[in-house]
Amino acid sequence: MTATTTPPVAKAGLFGKDELKVVKDPLWDNNPIAFQVLGICSALAVTTRLDKALVMGIGITFVTAIANVLISCLRNFIPNKIRIIVQLVVVSSVVIVFDQILRAYMFDLSKQLSVFVGLIITNCIVMGRLEAYAMGNPPWRSFLDGIGNGLGYMWILAVVGAVREVLGSGKLLNMQLVPQALYDAGYVNNGLMVLAPGAFLLLGIIVWVQRAISGYVEK
Amino acid sequence: MSINTNSNGYVMAFAIGVCVVMSSLLALTATALKPAQDAAAEADRQKNVMIAAGVVAAEDVLSVAEVQKRFGERVQEVVVDTRSGQVVDGKSAADVAALNKAAVKEAPADKAASTRYRVVAKTKSADGKIESIILPISGKGLWSTIYGYLALDGDLTHVRGVTFYKHGETPGLGGECENPTWCAQWKGKSILDAQQKLVGIGVKKGKVDPAIPAEKAHKVDGLSGATITSNGITKFVLADLQVFDSYLTALRKGS
Repeated sequence: MTATTTPPVAKAGLFGKDELKVVKDPLWDNNPIAFQVLGICSALAVTTRLDKALVMGIGITFVTAIANVLISCLRNFIPNKIRIIVQLVVVSSVVIVFDQILRAYMFDLSKQLSVFVGLIITNCIVMGRLEAYAMGNPPWRSFLDGIGNGLGYMWILAVVGAVREVLGSGKLLNMQLVPQALYDAGYVNNGLMVLAPGAFLLLGIIVWVQRAISGYVEK
Repeated sequence: MSINTNSNGYVMAFAIGVCVVMSSLLALTATALKPAQDAAAEADRQKNVMIAAGVVAAEDVLSVAEVQKRFGERVQEVVVDTRSGQVVDGKSAADVAALNKAAVKEAPADKAASTRYRVVAKTKSADGKIESIILPISGKGLWSTIYGYLALDGDLTHVRGVTFYKHGETPGLGGECENPTWCAQWKGKSILDAQQKLVGIGVKKGKVDPAIPAEKAHKVDGLSGATITSNGITKFVLADLQVFDSYLTALRKGS
């Protein structure tokens, strides 16, 4: 059954041109947030600080990559009737594993991310990649596709998180960035940035800049 | 290979197979990570004792080992018999469950027996005086039981700090009870009124009016959108303070 897809992969090696494209595409041209506008809800909720944004990005990357591989391995055996349910079972299991790991080793962050780790299950990026890519491609490429999309999501989150943390609380990764002298001179943190509207504005600007550079045209 | 992947038998078998494999994977992860998670949760509890006492700040990033070290250096835990108000000598936090079990056996009709013995933490300043007494507080919010610590200053009247570290309230509404900015308002409030009567700390609906002395001394701002959580906190803080009242009174007399 897999005979039609495996030979080109074997010839091209692990990091052939096609494989690189699979990873690079979602980073810029086909970015899940800027281009496909998926996963916005979590992008607004977890980006008040850079460390939260990064952990969330790692979470999505981990979940998309692992779930992609599992579904891709099973793709020829999954009955079409129940494929969405099977995808959900796989995604939720991987998310719970990630949540358990966070609870064991990064308790503070896991408390702050609270429900949003669990909500990775409903992140459109994860289900979108499973349905659109892993159901029709071999495991290695699906893995790369998951990594690529996860990283594409993560870098935008990281940019939003960094800007919000610096402008909103004067810190970066919990280290004071804005000097006390500036506060004494009358500088105040921007309250808008710690609230959801700040993230909306930033995301809008990022999508605009990204689309202006990549030359996206609405069809 | 010619399995009909759409036959009912196959679909059933596949669904069961996937569920069994995935649930065993989850069970395995949960069991393997349990010790690390318990250690992290205990370190979080210890950190919250220290946050309430003002030994560390809520935003400090500490590793599990660092928390245990500072906790060991600064905090002493004693077991208190809340009925007599006396410290039970020679018992540690690990013995509390057994002590309470024995108390229930002794007085099965008494509802308070199951929590008769409680762990109270103390910190001392460099000259050996009691710097703070940290009382465990817990009770019902809207969805869940909220757990926290209320630290009193050495005078046993004014609040030194408060934390709520474990709860299942709505994030952004009742969940804001763990917000350090909100908790910071508790500092300096008095649990006793001018006649030395225990009144506890109330969470007001709306903002505290500093022009009213009684409000300024005993109330904090409400959590918007979380009236039931706020009322729950007011209720269980007072209830727990009443439980510890005999102990605190004894301490006040002693010092």
